[in-house]
Amino acid sequence: MRRLKAAAPLAALLTVFAVISACASGGPRDLSPMVSVEPPMPANVTINPEIETTSSSGDDCGDPTVSLRPQGLDIPPGSTMDKIRKRRKLVVGVDQNTFLFGFRNPATGQLEGFDIDIAKAIAEKLLGHPAAAKFRAITSDQRIEALKSGKVDIVVRTMTINCERRKDIEFSSVYYVAGQRVLVKKASEYKGLEDLGGKRVCATSGSTSLRNIAASPAKPIPVAVDNWSDCLVMMQQGQVEAISTDDTILAGMAQQDPTLHVVGDRFTEEPYGIGIPKENKDMVRYVNAVLEEIRNGLWQQSYNKWLKPALGSNSPPRPKYR
Amino acid sequence: MPITTTAQPRPPGQLTSPGQMPPDNRGRSGLRGVVGLARAGVRTVVRSWTTTPGRLTLIATGLVILTLLTGLTAAVMAQQKTDAVSELTNRREPLTAAAGQVYRALSDADATASSSFLSTGDEPPALRVRFINDIAQAGVFLARAASDPEAGPEISRQIDIIGEYLPIYAELVGTARANNQQGFPAGAAYLREASQLMQSTILPAAEALYEADTRALADRQAEARGFPWLTALLVTGLLAALIATQLYLKRRTKRVFNIGLVVATAAIVVGVLWSSAALITQSVLISSSETNGSEQVDRLVRARIAGLKARVDETLLLVSRGEGQQYAEEFTRMSEEMAGKDGRGGLLAEARAAAEGHDALAATLDKAQEHAAAWLKAHAKVRDLDDEGEYLEAASVAIDDTREDSSARAFNKLDIELNTAIQHGRQNFFDDASDAGAALTLLPWGWIVLGFVAAGGVAVGIQERLREYR
Repeated sequence: MRRLKAAAPLAALLTVFAVISACASGGPRDLSPMVSVEPPMPANVTINPEIETTSSSGDDCGDPTVSLRPQGLDIPPGSTMDKIRKRRKLVVGVDQNTFLFGFRNPATGQLEGFDIDIAKAIAEKLLGHPAAAKFRAITSDQRIEALKSGKVDIVVRTMTINCERRKDIEFSSVYYVAGQRVLVKKASEYKGLEDLGGKRVCATSGSTSLRNIAASPAKPIPVAVDNWSDCLVMMQQGQVEAISTDDTILAGMAQQDPTLHVVGDRFTEEPYGIGIPKENKDMVRYVNAVLEEIRNGLWQQSYNKWLKPALGSNSPPRPKYR
Repeated sequence: MPITTTAQPRPPGQLTSPGQMPPDNRGRSGLRGVVGLARAGVRTVVRSWTTTPGRLTLIATGLVILTLLTGLTAAVMAQQKTDAVSELTNRREPLTAAAGQVYRALSDADATASSSFLSTGDEPPALRVRFINDIAQAGVFLARAASDPEAGPEISRQIDIIGEYLPIYAELVGTARANNQQGFPAGAAYLREASQLMQSTILPAAEALYEADTRALADRQAEARGFPWLTALLVTGLLAALIATQLYLKRRTKRVFNIGLVVATAAIVVGVLWSSAALITQSVLISSSETNGSEQVDRLVRARIAGLKARVDETLLLVSRGEGQQYAEEFTRMSEEMAGKDGRGGLLAEARAAAEGHDALAATLDKAQEHAAAWLKAHAKVRDLDDEGEYLEAASVAIDDTREDSSARAFNKLDIELNTAIQHGRQNFFDDASDAGAALTLLPWGWIVLGFVAAGGVAVGIQERLREYR
């Protein structure tokens, strides 16, 4: 009996311990609340980038579209054209992402478009064969650097002629005149850049379009990307409200997505020229001579093929020489 | 059933439940009872120690308790070691392998998507099937890798990231394909976005997951090889106590041997010898499973990851059409990490050197090195063609694996050999680790039996001496 008496308090203690340790604390195991996923964006997107606001009017060079007068298609020994002919290829900086101007046709793997046709015409005159044009895809931002470093011989890539760029490179005569407009969803109420204050509007880094967006009095938020088709992707993903650039490029995007349309009037004039390294003046005259020739035939053919369905009839712009 | 909702311990006196005596009294008498019990115990022990039979009884009790405790501890230790080894083969290693496969499948999906972009005309059905299989495998292996009850926050976070973005990645590639089929350049933009998501978010998570699992595996191996300090301490103490007791009895009784205690000592010595042999064998085999198994596998998986990265760079370099300097640089870095400058260096060479004596693995790695060299040669050809402006020909050499000289063919062959080599390494690991587990067979039960034998020996041996005092 004595033993039992001693065991009783022990049993009591154990009971207390068991009850205390059974007391629950906390809740069920945390399953980490479902997060909302950050939607992906194209590479190298900058929202509201720093944009140099030194406008081209600050360094006035007169009419920037005035180019060097052509002097025929002869190729003197030692000239830039002679060097290109010796290596048997013309390296052209182009776009491979802009529908109708320079884009890769997935069915053939070949680059096609209005710019590409112009580049091929130059290669054909210079080297006897359009396939002698070897294309390097470059972004808008890389155009001037590619010319200055000699990576490419010419740039045919929806490039606007202006005084600022003229400081670094030469331009051919104007081969097309576009104008900036705005692409928005058909379902939206936007009628132009003036309705887009505080909204995100997309353009490529280093383009004149991006600057014009930033300079707009309506104060939209500029969004900079690498390629024009990245703008379309962001538009389709609902990450920008509008795209604003040359009507030519916008027409190509509207063709890829029937829910979009181009609105507003042209609010700039964008004369396209072929970019050429500053020191190669002979090449500028040669390219201008080729352009003189194609204005009478190939230009219209290519325009009708790529741009007429979207932009209506048009004829080549008149060149200006000094 | 919780009775209270707070974890605050409460004084025992506050607890009331039906059928009990008034709480206040009971609580106090309980505490007092325990203290009294202890006090009485100490008094009894002190009193007993003054007489020889009392002292012998105390020694016997102490020795029996120590013997049983030691036997039990040793048995638990042996069981834990056995469990640790089976944990290696049944859980840690498969988890690590699954994580490696997640990375491979994701990376291969990215490379395949870029390849189909480079192809012209209708998308080759083989590439389409390969992409779908990659995505399916990534999902399945991710589920495997996630079935880790010990996953820490690091592993869980990586799995979350992959789980969140994998479907989005697949959706982007689908959108890219739809645009591509209509001839729209937006397709290429979607593909770039998908690839960017893969490279900057999903693959880094997969790599971190693989590394975390590899570390966990290595930690478990070290644990399985660890020296059982507690058991060693108890066994040494017990042996010393047994010998001391025998010396004491010899002095008291003038008899050299006490059969019971000799049996007890012998049982413990048998246990020590058996355990030493088993544990040394186990530890050697675990070490071998590391050097010939898991470390080889890790080297090969890292070689495969580097190879896949380089392959993605090779295709993206063509997709970017001339402006992809960063891809060219990364290709050089990754291919050198995998196979050196000529296919004879890098991780593959390290793995080959470590495979000396494993003929099947060595032969596989020899072939892998050949294919790596062929790939690097094909890649140089792709670059030359692209630099010359022969873009379509360059793309064809890069992705058309029906061409004998294509880098796609060399890369696929390399990947197949690497897969085989990884399977060899996993087999080596499994064989050694299973043998290590087998070395411990019956040891836990052995210790329980030996513990009882030793305790019985002590009891009988001292009982005999005690009888002489009656």
